[in-house]
Amino acid sequence: MLNSLLKKLVRKASGRTKFIMAIIGLSVALLLILSAVQLQINYNDLLHSKTNQDSLTNFLVINKRLNNDNANKATLSNEEIAQLKQQPFIDDIGILSPSRFKASIQTVSDRFPFYSDMAFESVPSAFIDVTSTEWKWDEQSSYVPIIAPNMFLDFYNFEFSFSQNMPQLTQDVVKLITLKVNIYTPRGIISMPGRIVGFSDRISSLLVPQEFMDWGNNNFALNKHAQPSRIIIRTKDPGNPDLVKYLQQTGLTTDADKTRFSKYRQVVTIVVNAGWITGAVMLIFALLIFTLFIQLTIASCKEEIQLLITLGASPKQLKRFLIKQFFPSNIIIAIVVLLLLALLQYQLAGFLTKQNIFVNTMLSAYTIMVAAIILLVLWIVNYRTIKKYIALNKE
Amino acid sequence: MQVAIKNIVPLPLKDRFAQRHSDIWNKEVSFHSSQWIKIKAPSGTGKTTFIHTLYKLRHDYSGDILWNEKNLRNINDDVLADMRQYKVSIIFQDLKLFPHLTAKENIELNRVLQQPFYEAGMIDTMAERLGITEVLNQQAGLCSYGEQQRIAIIRALIQPFEWLLMDEPFSHLDADNTGKAAALIAEECTKRNAGFILTDLDEDEHFNYSHKFLL
Repeated sequence: MLNSLLKKLVRKASGRTKFIMAIIGLSVALLLILSAVQLQINYNDLLHSKTNQDSLTNFLVINKRLNNDNANKATLSNEEIAQLKQQPFIDDIGILSPSRFKASIQTVSDRFPFYSDMAFESVPSAFIDVTSTEWKWDEQSSYVPIIAPNMFLDFYNFEFSFSQNMPQLTQDVVKLITLKVNIYTPRGIISMPGRIVGFSDRISSLLVPQEFMDWGNNNFALNKHAQPSRIIIRTKDPGNPDLVKYLQQTGLTTDADKTRFSKYRQVVTIVVNAGWITGAVMLIFALLIFTLFIQLTIASCKEEIQLLITLGASPKQLKRFLIKQFFPSNIIIAIVVLLLLALLQYQLAGFLTKQNIFVNTMLSAYTIMVAAIILLVLWIVNYRTIKKYIALNKE
Repeated sequence: MQVAIKNIVPLPLKDRFAQRHSDIWNKEVSFHSSQWIKIKAPSGTGKTTFIHTLYKLRHDYSGDILWNEKNLRNINDDVLADMRQYKVSIIFQDLKLFPHLTAKENIELNRVLQQPFYEAGMIDTMAERLGITEVLNQQAGLCSYGEQQRIAIIRALIQPFEWLLMDEPFSHLDADNTGKAAALIAEECTKRNAGFILTDLDEDEHFNYSHKFLL
């Protein structure tokens, strides 16, 4: 009853249009700043989450840029590798070890005759985009598991098979073929069975387990101690301009297609930052508008407040009442904005899923947390303004 | 609750009052609980100033006012609010109603500002006794002075109090209505065992005063 009477006294004083303007300003500001937060989080999700960790965005194979000066000796020194490891934009480095022995593979079936000289590479398992339980080798193993680049199979299926009048092969069929791996040693040829256990998009060479590579190189290598010439790095952000610049400065090169993403990346960063800044500026203005609105409301019912205090209303009572008048609208704004963002996020996730990009369908907890923090700031601003203006207007 | 006045003089009127005889200004006076005090105050003697000073609406005075031994100057906003809600009620000379609220809302506001002393129905009962039932739902600003004064009287009587301060409470009422209002005030004060301090221009016999003073 008291509140409804007080409301009647205060409502007379405050302008409806001003209130609506303050509300709209605050809503837009909150929407901007929270969508900036959510976008930033989505973006981080895209860069770092497991589902989106495909070879195009996170792993780069790096080697020396080959030119007339360094031909035949384009290897990476230990210092160069150590230096790469120290760069903030590189999370991990894997050394690609090439086979330093002569080898070939061939099919054993007459129906599908195939023979080729071949070289292998190996890389720590963490850098391989194929997960297979068969990816292990020791001297007792019955066959050598091999991971082939997808590119090879495509080359075979869409070029080679036509020219040789051979059948096209699916990945599953290729995995069933038993191969013979031959290693040429000074004492003769060592043959053993081999099988393709997976296809990689990441590294464009035939991969064998590190154990097999070490065994082969230790026993049959023509040149025992050789520096690696290629490494693979894991980075959160292949589009990082610092990375591209560093590679250029140190005479290193990588698949340019993978770093080209950096340009789009920069655009996205600018857009997200613009969202942040606009949102923050809007929020400051909205806070100002809201504060002014509260001031105006209190100032315009100054006489009523004075009389209420004269009659015995306590400043505490009035503060509580006024907070109840102003603050719930802020909570409602925050909830509406969060609901709207949740809806947008859901739609966005649905849309991106169709493009094989996965972001969370739900709002991030951080966004909700930021909303809560802004609400807290709003409460403090509301409370302080009310306190100050009641004190100013009570006498 | 006892009210003690110790040598108070309103600062703006200091020189003027120094010459005049007064029972109140620059004197030590105590009003005891449940006493009905009449202060006769000819025009220009600071009647309203006195009431406002007692009610802590003015601070521009020398000397001290003690409510229950507590110096009025040192009472903070919350204690003051509590005092005005439960201990001290007031009828202003200029009535001080909210002009945009109805008569009933004006009274109701003071009823629910604290734990109500009376049920809401009491407003109608009192209004009927003072003959303002018809204007209860009218905006207070549109009521005549006589009606507004009776609204202000009921507003003061609807809350709990130990002291009732009245500043020319019957100035706009005829003899008949004054009698009814005085009877109601006397009844309510008796019911609460409360005292009052009434200031007026002239002598009167509306109440059975315990003490009379000249301002």
